[in-house]
Amino acid sequence: MKKILALVMALAMMLMLVACGPAGNQESQPPQGGGEQTNAPQGGGEETQPPQGGADLSGTYDVTIWCPEAAVELTKTQVANFNSSNTMGITINATVEPVSEADAATNMITDVSAGGDLYFFAQDQLSRLIQAGAVMKLGQGAADYVKNNCVASSLVAAKSGDDFYAYPLTADNGYFMYYDKSVIPEEHVDSFEDIIADCEAANKQFSYELENAWYNAGVFFATGCHSDWKTDDDGNFKGIDDDFNSDKGLIAAKAIYKLVSSPIYVNSSNADFASGSAVVVTGVWNYATIKSQLGDNFGVADLPSFTVDGQSYHLYSYAGCKLLGVKPQSDAVKGAVLNQLAQYLTGKDCSLQRALDPVEGKTPDGNPENGGLGWGPANTEARNDPAGTNPALAALEEQNKYSISQPNIHGSWWDIAKVITTDIKASDGSDEALKAALEKYEESIKAVFDVTDEIRNAFTVIGKVNGSDWDVDFEMTNDGDIWTSKDAFEMEAGTELKCRQGKSWDVAYPAENYVVETAGTYYVQLNAATGEITLVPAE
Amino acid sequence: MSKNENTLKRHMGLKAANRISNFFVYLLLIVISVVWLIPFIFIVLQSFRVESTYQVGYVIPQQWGFDNYLKLWNSDFKVWYLNTFIIALASAVLITVIQLCMSYTLSRFRFKMRGPLMRFMLILGMFPGMLTMIILYRVLSDLGLTQANAVPGLILVGVASSGMGYYVSKGFFDTIPKSLDEAARVDGATRFQVLYKIILPLAKPIVIYTILTAFMGPWGDYVFARYVAFGTSSGYNVAVGMYSWLTNDQIARMYTTFCAGGVIVAIPVTILFLCLQKYYVEGVTGGAVKG
Amino acid sequence: MKQYSDLEFLRLSKWQRFTYKIAAFFCGIPKAIASLFWTVVNLIKTGCKKVADEFMDIVTTFTKGDWKTKVSFVVMGFGNIARGQILRGLLFLAFEAVFIVYMFAGGGYWLSMLGTLGIQGPTQDYDPLLDAYTTHYHDNSFKILLYGVLTIFFIIAFIYTWRTNVKQNKLSEQIIRSGKKLKSGKDDLRSLVDDQFHKTLLALPLTGILVFTVMPIVFMILVAFTNYDGAHNGYSNNLFTWVGLDNFNTLLSWQGGNGGGQSYSATFGEILTWTLIWAFLATFTNYFLGMFVAMMINKKGIKLKKLWRTILVLTVAIPQFISLLYVSKMFARNGLINLALMDLGWISQPLPFWEDPTWARVSVIAINIWIGIPYLMLITTGILMNIPADLYESARIDGANGWQQYTKITLPYMLFITGPYLLTSFTGNMNNFNVIYLLTGGAPTNPAASGAAGSVGYTDLLITWLFKITTGAESQYYLASVVGIMVFVVVAVISLVVYNVLPSIKNEEDYQ
Repeated sequence: MKKILALVMALAMMLMLVACGPAGNQESQPPQGGGEQTNAPQGGGEETQPPQGGADLSGTYDVTIWCPEAAVELTKTQVANFNSSNTMGITINATVEPVSEADAATNMITDVSAGGDLYFFAQDQLSRLIQAGAVMKLGQGAADYVKNNCVASSLVAAKSGDDFYAYPLTADNGYFMYYDKSVIPEEHVDSFEDIIADCEAANKQFSYELENAWYNAGVFFATGCHSDWKTDDDGNFKGIDDDFNSDKGLIAAKAIYKLVSSPIYVNSSNADFASGSAVVVTGVWNYATIKSQLGDNFGVADLPSFTVDGQSYHLYSYAGCKLLGVKPQSDAVKGAVLNQLAQYLTGKDCSLQRALDPVEGKTPDGNPENGGLGWGPANTEARNDPAGTNPALAALEEQNKYSISQPNIHGSWWDIAKVITTDIKASDGSDEALKAALEKYEESIKAVFDVTDEIRNAFTVIGKVNGSDWDVDFEMTNDGDIWTSKDAFEMEAGTELKCRQGKSWDVAYPAENYVVETAGTYYVQLNAATGEITLVPAE
Repeated sequence: MSKNENTLKRHMGLKAANRISNFFVYLLLIVISVVWLIPFIFIVLQSFRVESTYQVGYVIPQQWGFDNYLKLWNSDFKVWYLNTFIIALASAVLITVIQLCMSYTLSRFRFKMRGPLMRFMLILGMFPGMLTMIILYRVLSDLGLTQANAVPGLILVGVASSGMGYYVSKGFFDTIPKSLDEAARVDGATRFQVLYKIILPLAKPIVIYTILTAFMGPWGDYVFARYVAFGTSSGYNVAVGMYSWLTNDQIARMYTTFCAGGVIVAIPVTILFLCLQKYYVEGVTGGAVKG
Repeated sequence: MKQYSDLEFLRLSKWQRFTYKIAAFFCGIPKAIASLFWTVVNLIKTGCKKVADEFMDIVTTFTKGDWKTKVSFVVMGFGNIARGQILRGLLFLAFEAVFIVYMFAGGGYWLSMLGTLGIQGPTQDYDPLLDAYTTHYHDNSFKILLYGVLTIFFIIAFIYTWRTNVKQNKLSEQIIRSGKKLKSGKDDLRSLVDDQFHKTLLALPLTGILVFTVMPIVFMILVAFTNYDGAHNGYSNNLFTWVGLDNFNTLLSWQGGNGGGQSYSATFGEILTWTLIWAFLATFTNYFLGMFVAMMINKKGIKLKKLWRTILVLTVAIPQFISLLYVSKMFARNGLINLALMDLGWISQPLPFWEDPTWARVSVIAINIWIGIPYLMLITTGILMNIPADLYESARIDGANGWQQYTKITLPYMLFITGPYLLTSFTGNMNNFNVIYLLTGGAPTNPAASGAAGSVGYTDLLITWLFKITTGAESQYYLASVVGIMVFVVVAVISLVVYNVLPSIKNEEDYQ
């Protein structure tokens, strides 16, 4: 009789299996419309960039859009406007879900297939999304559209390697200073030291989230330090070039010590005015809350300058973006439609609607439900439109003169770099102690991000090979000094190529480009000792 | 005489000592009660605050009103609440059935695999359940029970794995004398009749205890519920939906709304709990300890 | 180690007995391992013999069986049907049919891919006409692993059922030969509510546990041997594959690797230490304070017992995500407590409840007391009332004061009854995700321990760390799996030790 039990259990299990079914053996669809191999057009400054050849995009599409809760209603309205205004016969049946920019990447990566088709996200998530295959690469035309319509600082954020992966949505993810006018007199707002003194005198706090790499890096940039990242086209990090541990870095460390050693220092970027802060370094997202906390005493300005050894340095910030990502699609038509919608949503009109001052209660369509959000547009035209500004955005614009466009940064760097402040805070402020903190940082960085010697020493083939034009490195494997390309290339007579080391031009052979004499299919072979290139015919 | 006096004195002394110690006990109990109640009183008061939506340094609102409750009404909170209620109700019924089957069998029947089965489940229980989330999500996603359909998905997972939590009710069944079953069996009752007619009526406290805990569980389910319903507001439960209100980018706008939501969520669960408190106590003392 | 005789042992003080027990346990480990080894060897021996017997039995069943039995070897259930047990036969047959269909419809594919976990990752095309990139998905490592495991489960179930089918034929032949009647379908059904009632009752719960608990855990263990992470999610970017024991090396090696200048093993050690401290403090503060409160309420002459209990029990009734989140915000830097204290002028700077490591650790334990006492109070109240009153009476006559009564009667009795509960409560606290996650989320950050596996905080338990690993920048599921297995090992070892030490101590206590 236990057989019956076994049967029931097995049946139940099997039913589940059958219900799920195999999904792995589906055939890939052939790419659509691959006939013409022409390059996509160079775009003008139009509102959207229609695909070439007037491809028929008409139809109704179900689209899920993820955007922050505050923007849900506005986005719904904007999609409705797109439906009524587009001339391509596209009807979008949109589901707009509230997912914050910070969570979007994590949610997308959880399950790409169930993610939103379009989603707002913070730029620091881009490399994760590319790596996870959760964001669609922009085609030539779309990339041109972005280049032609978005402010320069936002372009770097949407790129990995040379390819664009997302549409810049806002260029307002930076920070500046809100202050309480009753504590900080107008003439003191330019001086870091004066502000600290004012706060100490009034026993009010100075909120500056220096134990967060996004904020403390700005102090280092102020003294001329740099921290540059290299990524390849697949979003993989190839290395870091960073000089925080230097004499310039020491100056920055001293400035950090000035604040963190004071009792009025608070490691926060929240709207803290209700809890005793007189100064808060934060961004546009806190504008409305702070305005309501401070009322008439509301003050906002770019960051001040600090003075070390008689020299003054203006504090820097990161200038970051929010991006609009498109989920990879297997249907090219839907992909094209999503591109159209994304271009509309990041276009002038929509950007301007989001930019309107939330405090003044301005609304894009007179409907109080659709209040502006005060988001600084990445769209050039909208950014230059006087209707789309407010005091916070104005301060941001001022601060942007002292800012570093935030590149793609490896997720682990944030955790490592923020420790600098923690260490400085725990130190006694002496030069040795500050230097030790910076050295520790450099060591940690090296442990994680230094590209291994293996990669640095590897040779690659580059040139007009395999349809590329000096823009793709083809891997080589080595046996001692003899390096051979992994693949054989079909090459015509006159094809030029080189072999280079570590994907840089510091070491490249031969000095003049190597020219193929006879057409054929060859493996490229390099003798690294002599720099000589030979072609080995493939059978 | 003197002996009597002594006892009397001792008696008096004891009484006085008792009174003093009782005084301190009362004092302590009052202090404890205040500490325990304060957060709940605060949350109720703050839910009626109108003048600001973020955290402030006082408790009694300067301006009273139902604004926060109105805001709840106009948000997706209704959907979340309904979702949670459905999950709680379904779980209460199904989990109770499953757990009672499991615990009754393991308490009453002696079959070959009983020992190994219980040991096996004990070992299973030592694995952190957190990790299995990823795969449970995939299974549900293949069954189409995620995101907008998260409610049946959450019920399925909750119910299917509930058999593991049989300890408490098994402990209770162990306390019901076996002679009752045997007597009934001698009278010709089948096992099913024994369970239905004799054991179940006696097991009322543990049945109610199981229903109550199964009903209360889903109201606090956050991590897995978020994993299953991610990015789809219509599939959220209250915990998932309200959690985002206290994140850094929303707390300044939604803090008092969270308080209002907390009150609305807590009221029915608390009333139910307090009504059935007696059974709950019998359940935990009868089952939890012996399990 | 010195071995004591029974008599010597009884002369020892309690503490000596306890240490002796623990020492004996650890000294016994080599012996236990040796005996485990021999047990395993014997198991393998007997196992081999059993398998051989099974095969012999199958062969003899076939050779000696009648034609009905022989057909049943291929067409399951045929023998049952031919001999009149239609219901059983049909079930067997249906199972076989479904199995065959399944294996052809997909099971074969999953099984064949299990060795590699997929061959072809996603591919990308560019459509110049539409100016859009398209992505085509092919193999899915995750599903291959998942359904591969399920298929293996299914095959095992099939083999078992097939064997049962063979056995039944043999049995039926014997019964018919001996002239008895076979059970009818009606008898079968009736026995399901009677003799075999436990099978009916267990069928559904065990199926659920098998599919939604056992299978995921098997899967999770397997993931620890793959490179499944954010960069190899098995579907939308790269496939993942088997890597052997690499991940265990990563976690257990003392070399750096976590990026924050600290190795994974050091981070693991730090978190494990705090997890154990937390579990210990959380369990015993709650236990003793809960007992204390229960005794206060139970004290003779205290009125309104029900009211006190009801007030305390509120924290049990109200969902934790509300009470804990609210309290967490209440103690935040700009939360109610700090703001109120500053308004009163008692402090000029906010108290760092969640910012300072020590403050944060003390705070979570304190708030856990707030959450935990009521539950313990409920449990202990019942037990306290069960302590025979005459024990106290005679103690009082002997002149024992309150404290002595407590340590000599109440506490031993409580420990005796609640010993197992304390153990489960301890392991439960080790995995107490909710309290830590909702209160601090692990904060404040421990910079030295943070690194490639994401940010690690001073209040992080292993279980919250595990969660952070899966949701962190690198989504290292494989590492989370390894940590999960480690958590299992730690919990299992603790349980084993305690089970071995605790009951013996209990037995020596004399209550009568």
